[in-house]
Amino acid sequence: MFDAIDKDLLKAVADLEGIPKGAYNIRKNGQLLGREVSANIIIETNDQGNGIVVRIKPGTMNESVHIPVIVSQAGLHDVVYNSFIIGEGSDVTIVAGCGIHCGSAKSQGHEGIHEFQVGKGARMKYVEKHVALGQGKGKRSLNPATNVFLAEEAYAEMELSQLAGVDEADRVNTAELSAGSSLLITERVLTDGVQKAVSRNEIILAGENSKANLISRSVIKGDSKQDFYATIDARAKCFGHIECDAILMGNGANETVPSLKAKHPDAELTHEASIGKIADEQLMKLMSLGLTYDEAVNRIIQGFLK
Amino acid sequence: MLEIKDLVFSVSDPEAPEKGAQKTIIDRISYTFEKGKFYAITGPNGSGKTTLAKLIMGIYDLTSGSIFLEGKEIASLGITERAQSGIAYSFQHPARFKGTTFRDLLSIAAGTEDEDKLAHIVARVGICSLDFLDKPVDARLSGGEIKKVELATTIARNPKVAIYDEPDTGIDLWTIDPMVQLLKKEQHTHGTTTIAVSHNRAFLSAADTLLLIKDGRIAYAGDLEGAATLLEDLSACGYGDTCEGESDVRCYR
Repeated sequence: MFDAIDKDLLKAVADLEGIPKGAYNIRKNGQLLGREVSANIIIETNDQGNGIVVRIKPGTMNESVHIPVIVSQAGLHDVVYNSFIIGEGSDVTIVAGCGIHCGSAKSQGHEGIHEFQVGKGARMKYVEKHVALGQGKGKRSLNPATNVFLAEEAYAEMELSQLAGVDEADRVNTAELSAGSSLLITERVLTDGVQKAVSRNEIILAGENSKANLISRSVIKGDSKQDFYATIDARAKCFGHIECDAILMGNGANETVPSLKAKHPDAELTHEASIGKIADEQLMKLMSLGLTYDEAVNRIIQGFLK
Repeated sequence: MLEIKDLVFSVSDPEAPEKGAQKTIIDRISYTFEKGKFYAITGPNGSGKTTLAKLIMGIYDLTSGSIFLEGKEIASLGITERAQSGIAYSFQHPARFKGTTFRDLLSIAAGTEDEDKLAHIVARVGICSLDFLDKPVDARLSGGEIKKVELATTIARNPKVAIYDEPDTGIDLWTIDPMVQLLKKEQHTHGTTTIAVSHNRAFLSAADTLLLIKDGRIAYAGDLEGAATLLEDLSACGYGDTCEGESDVRCYR
């Protein structure tokens, strides 16, 4: 079912060595490659035929669903609209991710538009990795969007990473939080060469005692560029925090714009942002433990993006 | 064991009237540290104590002079090579890292990720618990906690020469004596040549030899008792030469 390239990509984006356990939907070059449902997780093609609907039954505990995407066909730009309906009181992990393998001079890309409705009291962990491999010179682009709606007391944790090979990325994350719900987003992006990555984030804290924590870690090597925009819009008594750190290496450039909007007198919003090279004191500490300069740089970057 | 010879470290002096003038921080210091002995380096603020320690580790580049470790010239080596030769350094203000844990630093220092070996080092250091291993060494650690991490990573190197720059900064009163005992234990069981830069009497009393640095030179080398008068002089006032009494209190005392 999988060729060698598929296996490499699945390993890179979803840590999969073969067919995953539990429910899954694997999409390759715009087509369904394989699907499995479970008693509690139902996956169906949507009415428009351009994506899937994943329904998690209320009360489902400790189950996971894998939905990796592979793009290995030269010149293909795959756009997919996926919806996730997470039932009340459930606790699930969704492992998404897209791997591009580019073997030609033609450009390839994927746009995954994901909408999440996380039910009352439900907990969702969403892990998304983006990777591009292959020797081809074609441009590889990944432009994902996640739109999250959290019902009362719901919790969502999202780990979004793009660590190699993607030439252009334009990401949009939006979220709206009801009373008592919490959202933790951690985004890790590494760019090199002349790659460009933009991340736009818009979080609305609509309900009382809702909480959002948005963490961005960027490493910008070579002549690459990354821009990070984040807005937390507080409309109730709530708590919001944005933490964005960028490490510049080589001639990397970065624009970071955190924005906090308090539209309620009891809103508590904070942010911390830093852009700069690796601190000398960090390098000296690791070198004083016997690492070379290059080893020290690698360890610091590895930890930062871990 | 560790010999420093005619060490000079000067920097450009932006306050000097003539352009390009140099200010000498370390002024021709020579000294031989013997194997397995405990040295305390003390002296007034700005006297050059930390600079001397950083010159030995290679954190600052010498202006002139030589450094020999077990007879081998190391002044031309970088920090990494000096660390690999057996010198370890505990920073006064340790670096903080986002995403790097105590376990990561300890593994690098000890050259192993083996859980039992790391647990053994933590037990040997004794001043922090095992559950501390997975704490990130970031801004959330208190001043005292990060100094314990620093101490542990230094000891984990099993160094021939361990340099501690003000190891008691941020450490609570009740931990200072155990810390001194730990350094003494390392000195005796592993034959570590120990150099502690400190103002703290606990470290000064523990040392076999006290080096008093003043104006970039060694003003005294010997036991604590012999340094008593000099130290009292310094503790009373560091502005003796320029003092004009109550009429002009330039030290803002």
